Amino acid sequence: MLAERSPDDWNDLLVKVGLDRDREAFSRLFAHFAPLIKGFLMKGNAIGPEQAEELAQETMIKVWRKAESFNRRKSAASTWIYTIARNCRIDWIRREARNRVDIDAQDIYELGEDNPSYSSLVRVRNKENILDNIGELPPEQLEVVTKIYFEGKSHSEVADELMLPLGTVKSRIRLALKRMQLKLVNEAQV
Amino acid sequence: MVSLHPDTGFLTEYSSGSLSPAQNISVSAHLHFCRECRDHVDCLDEIGGVLLEQIAPAPLGPDSFEQVLLKLEDTAPASIVATEPDVASDELIQLPKLVRRLLPGDTQWRRLSPSLAIARIPVGECRFELALHKIRPGGRAPTHDHKGLEITVVLQGSFSDDDGVYREGDFIVREPGDVHTPIATQNEMCICLSACEAPVRMVGPIKRLLNPFIRFKPV
Repeated sequence: MLAERSPDDWNDLLVKVGLDRDREAFSRLFAHFAPLIKGFLMKGNAIGPEQAEELAQETMIKVWRKAESFNRRKSAASTWIYTIARNCRIDWIRREARNRVDIDAQDIYELGEDNPSYSSLVRVRNKENILDNIGELPPEQLEVVTKIYFEGKSHSEVADELMLPLGTVKSRIRLALKRMQLKLVNEAQV
Repeated sequence: MVSLHPDTGFLTEYSSGSLSPAQNISVSAHLHFCRECRDHVDCLDEIGGVLLEQIAPAPLGPDSFEQVLLKLEDTAPASIVATEPDVASDELIQLPKLVRRLLPGDTQWRRLSPSLAIARIPVGECRFELALHKIRPGGRAPTHDHKGLEITVVLQGSFSDDDGVYREGDFIVREPGDVHTPIATQNEMCICLSACEAPVRMVGPIKRLLNPFIRFKPV
């Protein structure tokens, strides 16, 4: 039956959507990513299944509309789609908070066309490092990382929730990043 | 050359979408100037990508894809630039696009001292308030301390205080209790973006009178 797809396949499909408006490619991306996005958004318990489904659809529509701007040198397809889902979540939170100021997350995160200064090789290695090591993180570090990424909680919100000092949360993040061997440009910051 | 950067904590919160709007905009304004941190954020985003790939999928309703296909027909390709209002007057034209977009069409500068004027940027949050600070060349802003966290990003020109000189793109975090007197560099107007957690309180006998002006309520 279906062979497992490699990340490169997802990149190719996304490029096809961007260049040729290829609906077949889009339907495959949808079948794979939409359920992941829905699962991702429901993780924090703040977003119910119906909302999550709507937001997953909204995310995929943006994927379709913005596919042209996908740059495989800068990010993997899954990462690029993650950033769109994250932005949809931010906008949803803003709407829920009845914030009437019209600032889309996309406006905040869009920094214009540019290529990273590192090569795509470095990017791929970074990603492999994350993949190899994320499963090895001690539970307390993984917990903090997932709370921040899945639930969109700030360090201080996580600290409140887990009843930990803020410094402990921050140092768990730092240790997790170190263990995932992210080759950060400015090592001094870690 | 940018020399002061947001720490990894800020960049992680930016990448994971957990900063408040005013903080998020401040980090974004820094990234406008800083290649290094943009690369850094790209790396951090990969964590989100990996986590997304590893999560247990939640099945969608049977018609979900058809519903989306219908909406694809409805929607024209994204045109982000078209809606951008050009509100920037000449002196603000060099600011990052995001900041120019955010400024209300009738930007009101409120003069707080002979050297300092402030224009608020509505972001609709309660915790932080966001504003542009403009210090005239060589001007000295009133000495003030901080009740809460203050993030300053230099957008144009430079300023100095007791601790050093800050240039375009620098991301300066002041902790509660820090007292300082920023002075703009002689030859150029200095414009900063400032996200303040709680009202900034001016110190000194006369400046105290100015406090009500700066203790504006968040929108």
